[in-house]
Amino acid sequence: MNFAHLHLLLNHFPIIGTMVGLGLFLISLLGKNEDLRRASLIIFPAMALLAIPTFFSGTGAQSAIRKTPGVSEALIERHQGAAMLALLFMEITGALALVGLWKSHGISRPARWNWSLSAILIFSIVTVGLMARVGTTGGDIRHPEIGSGQEEVTEGLMLSKWIHEMEPSPARVADLMTANKWWWAFMMDLHFVGLVLLIGTVGILDLRMLGFAKQIPIDPLHRLVPWAMAGFGLNLVTGVLAFTGMDQYYTYDVAFWLKMLAIMLLGLNVAAFYLTGAFDSVEGLGPGDDAPPLAKFIAATSLFLWFTVITLGRYIQSFADTISVHK
Amino acid sequence: MFLQAIEDTGFSTWLRESESPFAFYFILLFHTFGLALLVGANAVVDLRLLGVARAIPLAPLKRLFRIMWIGFAMNAVTGILLVFAYPTKALTNFDFYIKLALIGFAVWVMQRLKSEVFEDSSLTEESMTARGAILAKWSLFLWFGAITAGRLLAYTYKYLTFPS
Repeated sequence: MNFAHLHLLLNHFPIIGTMVGLGLFLISLLGKNEDLRRASLIIFPAMALLAIPTFFSGTGAQSAIRKTPGVSEALIERHQGAAMLALLFMEITGALALVGLWKSHGISRPARWNWSLSAILIFSIVTVGLMARVGTTGGDIRHPEIGSGQEEVTEGLMLSKWIHEMEPSPARVADLMTANKWWWAFMMDLHFVGLVLLIGTVGILDLRMLGFAKQIPIDPLHRLVPWAMAGFGLNLVTGVLAFTGMDQYYTYDVAFWLKMLAIMLLGLNVAAFYLTGAFDSVEGLGPGDDAPPLAKFIAATSLFLWFTVITLGRYIQSFADTISVHK
Repeated sequence: MFLQAIEDTGFSTWLRESESPFAFYFILLFHTFGLALLVGANAVVDLRLLGVARAIPLAPLKRLFRIMWIGFAMNAVTGILLVFAYPTKALTNFDFYIKLALIGFAVWVMQRLKSEVFEDSSLTEESMTARGAILAKWSLFLWFGAITAGRLLAYTYKYLTFPS
């Protein structure tokens, strides 16, 4: 297996997933179906999470086909720019959907129209459009059957020309990240601040479920979760920027990819917490109450995985150049 | 010279030069774990005192100070080991002393939070918040400064090892 396999394995999810999510979201709005809306709001953050390793696997996929005759660097660059813009909108859509889920918690009737629903609608439509463009520009790189083979970047439609103007150049972003060491240091500093926010809040909630400081009721503690999401958001932004700054460095690092795997597993962990009834079973726990075994198991897994993420992150530096495929 | 003498010890050399994942990076890892425990728990207490998640009762948060002290102990031990691995790198860098000063102040604020806000059981939640709010702001500011100064150690050193 090489990075091209990984890229192809992952890249269909964010593109098709957001389309499915948007479809369900639209139907739920028209049919005033609360369950369907919840389902669509879960799909967006799931796709936003999967989009991260998809984006990261692009660098390795590029190295895999770079030397193939007929593959144009210009087309690859356009695809990278499209992917960056789409990733930005994908992450915003995912974050908005989480806000929507958070706000609708505990409300069983369809929520009245509010700003978060409008924002999700607008951003998910834009994301679907941008994702389609990522797919198209990616396909143009190497799919002879659709007459790819072109060498130059040509934009047929007015709209695609306009979007192309807006797309960042990955090379420029990389320069911006690495040109000044103080900027890089500042990004890494913020990555640690995000870590502290995330571990502080989630860690204490997990520990409480495991029986530590039982005098704290769980529902109020759970209100710290938006701060955990803010920490995660900060680390997502600084992490993606760092990757773009030194993509070759991270791509061939086994600790980096294991860290991504651990983060994906944490996505499953969060889903398990909210969707298996574990959250419902602990939400009402007051001072002195003990959490049921399933919630304890999920809390222990979460703690273990977050410390694994820190561990793997710390070892990125010493595991540089541990992957040697087609380099 | 003193710094050179430390660097020449077998243990310091092993920490610095060993290819083993259990040498330098292992210490650095536990320094990060300690940071997460110490500042993570302290930041939650600070945020609560500043009005975040007001529904959390303050009194039981006293338990979090134990986590902070565990984190502090881990970082004192691993911090000394890190200096032992690269004494010249740390001790010739002014930023290192800024970091120590910021940590000193932050731990002092943490202790004051514990003794003045959490150990006075006569206080109501309101008076606890009133007393703690300013300390909490200082705490967040000082820890942010300490993390920043610590991160900068990787970018600001003049000598990595004693110049020969």
